[in-house]
Amino acid sequence: MFKYIEFSIYGASILLILIGLYGALVKKSLIKIVIGLSIVDAGVHLIFVAMGYIRGGTAPIFSPGFENDASRMVDPIPQALVLTAIVIGFAVTAVALSLVIRLYKHHDTLRIDEIKNLKW
Amino acid sequence: MVGTPVLLVVIPLLAAFLIPLLGMIWKELVRIIPGLVLLYMFILSATLLNQVLHTGPIVEVIAGWRPPLGINLVFSPFSGFLVTLMTFIGLMVWIYSYRFKQNVDFEPAKKYFILLMMLVTGSVGIVLTGDIFNLFVFIEIVGISAYALTAFYTERNSAEAAFKYLFMGALASTFLLLAIMIIYTQLGTLNMADIASKMPEMNTTYKITALVFLLTAIGIEAEMFPLNGWAADAYTESPGPIGAAFAGIVAKAGVYAMVRIIFTLFDVEGTMQFMLYIGLITLIVAETTALRQDRLKRMLAYSSIGQMGLIMVAFGIGTAEGVFAALFLMFNHAIIKPLLFFSGSYLVYNSKDKFIHETNGMGKHIPVTSILFALGAFAIVGLPPFAGFWSKLSILTAAADENMIIIIALILIVSIVELVYYLRVVNRIYFFKMAEGVEPKKPTFNALFVMVTLGVIILLVGFYPDAITGVLHKASGDLLDKTKYIQDVLSLNP
Amino acid sequence: MDMIYLVFLIFLSGAVISWLAGKVNHVLQDILFLASVIVPSVLFYMNVSVGQEVHFKAGGIDLSWGITDFGWIFSLIVLGLGVLAAIYSVGFMKGKERRGYFYFNYVLSIMSMLGILFSKDFVSFFIFWEIMTWSSYLMVIYNGKHTQSIGIKYFIFSAIGAYAMLMAIVISHSVTGNFMIADLITAYPVLSFNLQVLIPVLLLTGFGVKTAIMPLHVWAPGAYSNSPMAFTSVFSGALSKMGVYGLSIVMLSMISHLPEGFWFREVLAWMGAVTAATGTLWAIKQDDAKKLLAYSSVAQLGYIVTGIAIGTELSILAGLFLAVMHAIFKSTLFMAVGAIERQTGTTNFTEVTGLIRKMPWTFLASLMSIIALAGIPPLGGFVGKWMLYESLITSDHYMLIILVFFSSTAAFLYCYKFLFGFFLGQEEKEWAHVKEAPVLMVIPMLVLAGLSFVLGTFPGLLLKPIDAGMQALGFAPTNQHLWDTSILFNSWGNQVALQPILYAILAIFVVFTIFLTIKGYKNTRYVTTKDISSSGEVPKEHENLTFSVNFFQPFLRAVEPVMRRQIDKYYNGFANGLEALFDFTRKIYTGNGQTYAIYVILFLIIMLLMKNNIFG
Repeated sequence: MFKYIEFSIYGASILLILIGLYGALVKKSLIKIVIGLSIVDAGVHLIFVAMGYIRGGTAPIFSPGFENDASRMVDPIPQALVLTAIVIGFAVTAVALSLVIRLYKHHDTLRIDEIKNLKW
Repeated sequence: MVGTPVLLVVIPLLAAFLIPLLGMIWKELVRIIPGLVLLYMFILSATLLNQVLHTGPIVEVIAGWRPPLGINLVFSPFSGFLVTLMTFIGLMVWIYSYRFKQNVDFEPAKKYFILLMMLVTGSVGIVLTGDIFNLFVFIEIVGISAYALTAFYTERNSAEAAFKYLFMGALASTFLLLAIMIIYTQLGTLNMADIASKMPEMNTTYKITALVFLLTAIGIEAEMFPLNGWAADAYTESPGPIGAAFAGIVAKAGVYAMVRIIFTLFDVEGTMQFMLYIGLITLIVAETTALRQDRLKRMLAYSSIGQMGLIMVAFGIGTAEGVFAALFLMFNHAIIKPLLFFSGSYLVYNSKDKFIHETNGMGKHIPVTSILFALGAFAIVGLPPFAGFWSKLSILTAAADENMIIIIALILIVSIVELVYYLRVVNRIYFFKMAEGVEPKKPTFNALFVMVTLGVIILLVGFYPDAITGVLHKASGDLLDKTKYIQDVLSLNP
Repeated sequence: MDMIYLVFLIFLSGAVISWLAGKVNHVLQDILFLASVIVPSVLFYMNVSVGQEVHFKAGGIDLSWGITDFGWIFSLIVLGLGVLAAIYSVGFMKGKERRGYFYFNYVLSIMSMLGILFSKDFVSFFIFWEIMTWSSYLMVIYNGKHTQSIGIKYFIFSAIGAYAMLMAIVISHSVTGNFMIADLITAYPVLSFNLQVLIPVLLLTGFGVKTAIMPLHVWAPGAYSNSPMAFTSVFSGALSKMGVYGLSIVMLSMISHLPEGFWFREVLAWMGAVTAATGTLWAIKQDDAKKLLAYSSVAQLGYIVTGIAIGTELSILAGLFLAVMHAIFKSTLFMAVGAIERQTGTTNFTEVTGLIRKMPWTFLASLMSIIALAGIPPLGGFVGKWMLYESLITSDHYMLIILVFFSSTAAFLYCYKFLFGFFLGQEEKEWAHVKEAPVLMVIPMLVLAGLSFVLGTFPGLLLKPIDAGMQALGFAPTNQHLWDTSILFNSWGNQVALQPILYAILAIFVVFTIFLTIKGYKNTRYVTTKDISSSGEVPKEHENLTFSVNFFQPFLRAVEPVMRRQIDKYYNGFANGLEALFDFTRKIYTGNGQTYAIYVILFLIIMLLMKNNIFG
């Protein structure tokens, strides 16, 4: 039964990535693109953490009763990496949204295929 | 001992955060501190480079956790050479942009210099790091500073350029994360040297998939075709000195990352060939597109992309001479392209759209800038006796030694195209009459100083290339020696 | 330091100093300029001997400089012409702007030409070749805006040639392991057949551009006519000979050892002859003296190329002799045109006539040069042409003989046009004020004209160094001297039969003329040109009696079909087609950020699908 949980988590994260890519590549509105990129990030983070899961493992924190029991802990490295990645993703989304605001002020539209002043 | 490599990353980071605080004490500090920091970084890296050229590379461990568990910085001849180059260009950018355009005011100057410091931090970090996730973090630092710097001026299309850059950069970081994930789950380590030593045991499918993701991600940063749609816009819309910084600092860091992955981390057959052909396509598409441009900075941007393609071709040749040629090309490009951007900024200073035909007749009014632009143009095309000739000769020699006749022919044909579009601009500067309503702007003293320094270096290397070929040979030898890298990192004493 | 270094150092620093000295004082600048050309030349001839070499390393590559006997011949052209044209330039540039620019590029051109002759390795050869190209390019665009496209055309063709040469250079490095020219020559006979064909073709493209062989000649008329005349004398006189120098080395050291080299020689000889013929035809058509001389240069270079290509001892002697003679007489002609331009302001035949009394020395120099160009004895051109014809006949190239004869004869037409159009004919009122050119401009012309006379009378003076040079390249003479295969010469290389007869005829003619003049002196009266009556009609003031304009219309009508196809048009069409193609390919960068992202994903998918094909 656990196998199904793992598969569903992997499947869900891959689905998230694909949905996010769809949003970023097909949708024309700038906000939807930014949201799509966010969703892609979420999917990647999810799949990364899920990769570190060990069946029956517990949180990788040394607490009373669980010292030196590292073999029963989930892999902490992906969690650390994903924390960093979440922060980075959040910062990038913030910059993206501020750019969207500026673009709207400049061009009066949110459609990406109408913002083509720089081409060729 | 002036310092250790970690200071090269820490000090600019600290300075970036302290600038607004110290700016509250005295406004001028906002402009002075970055200069002091960059000067210190340049001196430090030059001293360390001198040291590692004689003794071995310096491997510095962060936070006491030895590799392969912890993060380490590696200052070898190759990475040290690049760091020195980057800090030098950073110093030049600082001198040039001391009071450039909007930097005369306090608020924009503060933001500009913070972002510049972050840019330098990130790039130096990319080159120095020995850990693959650290690489990701530094790439992101560079990315965010670059997005913000591209969008620096508000009256132009800079937001559009920055958004495109951000879009593609976000995709790049996604793929980079996926690749790191595959590597980590298969090999269990994030340390570059450790990955390199464990790579032969990895499952081939996973290996190649990870390589593809990595190449796509780093390729976006290193302006490979067809992943370089963002590059032309970003170079065009960013402020002039930042365009120089992109060309001289960021792109070099991107190429370093790609080269480290291909030469040290992975051992897949056929990556060299791939780099060769992709580089060739990049070169051809970029140079032919540059021919049809009518805006000066966009033309320089495509020329820069083309040079990156040529560097990739040189790496792709795969022999020691090829790597030497690639490093020589990197050096020359890092010196000449900023000179072109710096002088080009003054040639179209007061123009809104920066059209090429607005540079007509500038030769009479700003003679020193024009002649330095002409010098840069001749040098980058590869005319003797300037610096670019020696690097072109070395790449052609390296290619000929491998009997790649068609590639030599293509490179030379593209050089002719390059010659044409640069000659057009140089002709306009000198022999056309200035258009109505265009006011030339005389460059300030610090801008002139920077341009003349770069020009002098070009002439010096052109007449006496032995000044740097020794360093380049050591650096190329260092890159190709994978086992030594692994050994140096993993065998540290506790 | 070694004398060779010193020579080049003086050239280089002289160039920079004479540019900067313009800010200080004009006279000082002129003196420094002349010094920077004359001093190294003197040093070279007095102190540097053949076979002296210097070696040094740059960028890890071994470079080696030294002059060979063969190069020594060309150094005569380069430095001799360089000094004389420098003196001429000082007079030419009086009152003109941008003198520093002119002087700088002039000295650099001379230095780089000498450097080419000195290079024993390919890298220095290429470096000097390129310096020569861009300094002459800067001269071509000296006159301003309308020269821009001409300048770019010149540079592009030179670059195509130079890059072809560069490709051959790196291939040679991959074969021999270093960049020495001598090593390529020794290794050449044992290369694979593909390389044996490829390397000379590439090298000949490079040299052919400078020698203006068809179809690589399209830059020459524009470039020669639009650069300042003081430089064109060096440009057409010495610079094109650098191509001849390279061409000879390729043909004589490499191709001649090849059994299949026969085809190379034939093709090249034909190209040279066709160039000569079409160049002459185009020269006849021109109304502007500069363009006429430019096309005529292309034609003369065609003769030289044919001579060298044929490959017998006599023909190579002919080619090299003609090369030196061409440098002498063509530069004099360009100098004359420069003088006329300076004094009258125009060089168009239809506008300027009758200058003989006003510019007598210019006329004398032009007369001698035209006689030499046409190949009339007793001047030098005759010797060269005779050797060329003789070699063509003795080597059985009958079709080529026809072409060469035809173009030589047609050359008379433009020779006549040049002389008559400028100097003879009726005098016009608007040119009544014209005076002779300044002394500094006249002296070099007269010196060069005198040289062509001397070399015509004593060709042995030139034949001996050429002989030594050819032997240095590996030509062993079958007889005692190389020129013994011609019936023209005695053992000192001087003309044997023709000379005395000719001088006798000339002497009789001169005596007769003087006799008639003295006899009829009392009965002569001066008349103006218009004091004639033809069928009872006296010509009016405004009628132009000069019939050198358009007098050969029937001839031109006859050769019209040949001249309709212009290679220039093909090149322009090709370039425009390329630009249209690039306009199309640049649409990849659509400007839509999403498109770029889609490119990324597409790239990724393709790589993932094809990953097993790409990677091992």
